[in-house]
This record gives sequence, C-alpha cells and structure tokens, in this order.
Amino acid sequence: MTDAKKLQGDKLSEADAIERAKQGDAEAFQLLYSLHKRRVYSLCLRMTANTAEAEDLTQEAFLQLFRKIATFRGESAFSTWLHRMAVNVVLMQLRKKSLPVVPLDETLESEEEAPKKELGAPDPVLAGSIDRLRLQRAVDALPPGYRRIFVLHDVEGYEHNEIAAMVGCSIGNSKSQLHKARMKLRESLKTSRAEKATKPW
Amino acid sequence: MNCTEFQEILPEVFEAGRTAEQAAHLKSCPRCSGLLADLDLIAREARQLQELAEPSPRVWNSIEIELRREGVIHELPGGPVVAPRARSWNLGAWLAPVAALALVAFAIGVYQRGWLSPQSAPQLTATAPAQISNPQPAKSQPANNEDQQLLAAVASRSPAMRAQYASNLQNVNAYIRDAEESAQADPNDEEAQQIVMDAYEQRAAVYEMALDRSLP
Repeated sequence: MTDAKKLQGDKLSEADAIERAKQGDAEAFQLLYSLHKRRVYSLCLRMTANTAEAEDLTQEAFLQLFRKIATFRGESAFSTWLHRMAVNVVLMQLRKKSLPVVPLDETLESEEEAPKKELGAPDPVLAGSIDRLRLQRAVDALPPGYRRIFVLHDVEGYEHNEIAAMVGCSIGNSKSQLHKARMKLRESLKTSRAEKATKPW
Repeated sequence: MNCTEFQEILPEVFEAGRTAEQAAHLKSCPRCSGLLADLDLIAREARQLQELAEPSPRVWNSIEIELRREGVIHELPGGPVVAPRARSWNLGAWLAPVAALALVAFAIGVYQRGWLSPQSAPQLTATAPAQISNPQPAKSQPANNEDQQLLAAVASRSPAMRAQYASNLQNVNAYIRDAEESAQADPNDEEAQQIVMDAYEQRAAVYEMALDRSLP
C-alpha cells in the first residue's frame, strides 16, 4: 500500500491536504512532504550520489512546489507534478555544475569508463539476486552521464522519449547510455561479489 | 547470428523484443542468455532503489522555516495548526531525547571499537541495543519505551502530529535495522558501519525535531 493510500484511510486525503496547503496550512504542507519525501530525496540522491547535495535539492524541489501549489489544478497526478519538478531541479543543478554544457550526444567516454564487451571467455552471471546496498553503491559509482539516464529510466520509470526531452539528447543516445550503464553495473556487481567471496567473513 | 552481432543490437532487444533469429541465438548461447538475464535483473532490481533513502528531518525544518518566512505558510483563523512548544515538559519527555542521544553515543563507541579491532565485530550482536539487532519487520514491531514517551509528549502538545512522528520513528527504526543487518553481514565494511551511525543520528534528529522545533 502506498503512503498516499494509507493517508486516505486516515482523516486527511492527499486531495484535502493539497486544498488545505493552498490556504497556507502548515500541517497540510508537512503531510504532503511526508508522503513524497522519500521518493524525491531518493531521486536526488541517485542523481547526485551526494547526501548533502541531495538534501539541498530535495529542499529546493519542495520549496518550488509549495510556492506554486496554488496553481495546481489537478489535471495530472500530484506526484507526477512534484516528481517532474524535482527532476527539473536536479537536472538544472547538474547542468550548472557541469558548465560549459556539452551535449550528451557528444560526450566521449574514456576507455576506463566504457563497459567491457561481453565476448571471449565464459563469464559468471549474477545468478538471480542482487544485494540492494551493493546495487546502490554501484549506481553511485557510475559516471554521471550513465547514472543520470539509468536513474531516470530504470529507477524512476521514465520512457526514453521523456528522458530525451528532459536531458536534451536523442532517444537513441538515451537508449545507448542506458545499455552502457547496465553493462557497467553488471561489471561492478560481479567485481564486488567476487571481492566479497574472497573475504573471510 | 553470432555473439558480436547479438550484443550490437542488445539495447533494441530490450526495447522492441526479440526476433526468431535472436531467440534462436539466445537458446544456443549461455553467455548471451546469461548477459541478457543479468541486465534484465539489474533493470528490475533498480526499482527497489526508488524509495530507499530518507532525508534528514532537518530538511523539513528548513523548508518550514523558509515557507513561514515567505508567508506561504500562515496560521489559519481557527488557530495554529502546529501548536507552540509547551513551556514545560514532564520528566519522561526529557528522558526520551537523552536516552536517544545516549543510544547514539553507545552505538558510535561500539562501532568505533569494531573498526579498530575487527575481531571484536562478532560481539556486536550481543552488545548492540536489542531494538536494533532485532531483524523483524518494522510494521510488526511496536515502538520501544523511549519512542512511546516521545509520542506521548508530541500528542500532548500537538495531537495532529503524533501520527507523523510515529511514522518517522518507524521509518528510522526500520532504517537502523536494515543498516545493522548489512553491517553485521560484513563487519569489515566501513561504509556499512557509517550507514549505521548515520541511521542512529537520524533517530536522534527525529527526537531533536520533536522536542525542539526551531520555528521562528
């Protein structure tokens, strides 16, 4: 059951909270924050791989949302509206950090960053299970360009055409970056599994 | 079709499904079918990361302060939604944050000793607080005495906020348990132990927020 549905079972629905927030009700703002904070913060954390920065971006995303909440008319789901705003805040921040802006299509990968081709000797597979913390660390360790596309597509569920529009790249580039990100994650996860197997604990 | 050709078009296989020729190659090639299964697994497991993390309670505090400063939050005619801080607290309410902070200090001490002496790590299960070493799911575990005292104090001050703080405590306790399990699975993993300490600090921050909300 989602937090939003749980809330509906209590005294205040999300729709009521939105209406009360439009009147400036502090409790309503806090309820809306509580419902969506984990998703927004997780998005920011995955995109930046930095807790302090992720908290700043979470704060900024919610502030932008709450300042504009009077304009929310309910045509789209509130979570969709909030989430898109959070993505925009993060992408804007990432663009500011990586000035001068280089189009993603023109990004060159170093030999070190590019995932290895899966040819040659037989290779062990992940065998149907991934430790969540290890996956988290592997995502955090991805090069920023790969991480951005992977988080938007595989974690957040955006389609390639949406990502292309948000990030400013072609759909083909989004697909290509996603594939490389997954290949790189597979390498990292296999390496960390091998390291774990050699430890005495 | 050989492996090179298959892997060239692998991104499209994910998006558009596979042709008969590609399916035949997968059936006959364990390397490519293993690769495809792994990438598919990574894509599925990534969804678990969607709501993995919890921001520090200070984030909401900062948001609230800013919204009040800007006048976006204002008191309703019926009176303040968030009641002003009570002038006095009973002894139990004061003991709660002290106990939480002592818990944090204790956990930090235990884990710092663990870093210095990896051999002592197996003792963590015995010495860590029972509430944290118990790996039961959060929803089935009642809040401990300190949490109950804090919630009672919050309820007496602002009944509407009790459920919110109960939820915060449940989340942070679950976070502590997850972090503890990971740290115990690999006691030499310093990052996992750092996450445990962060989790304890988040719990202390919840107490701090509940008892001393720095509103203007």
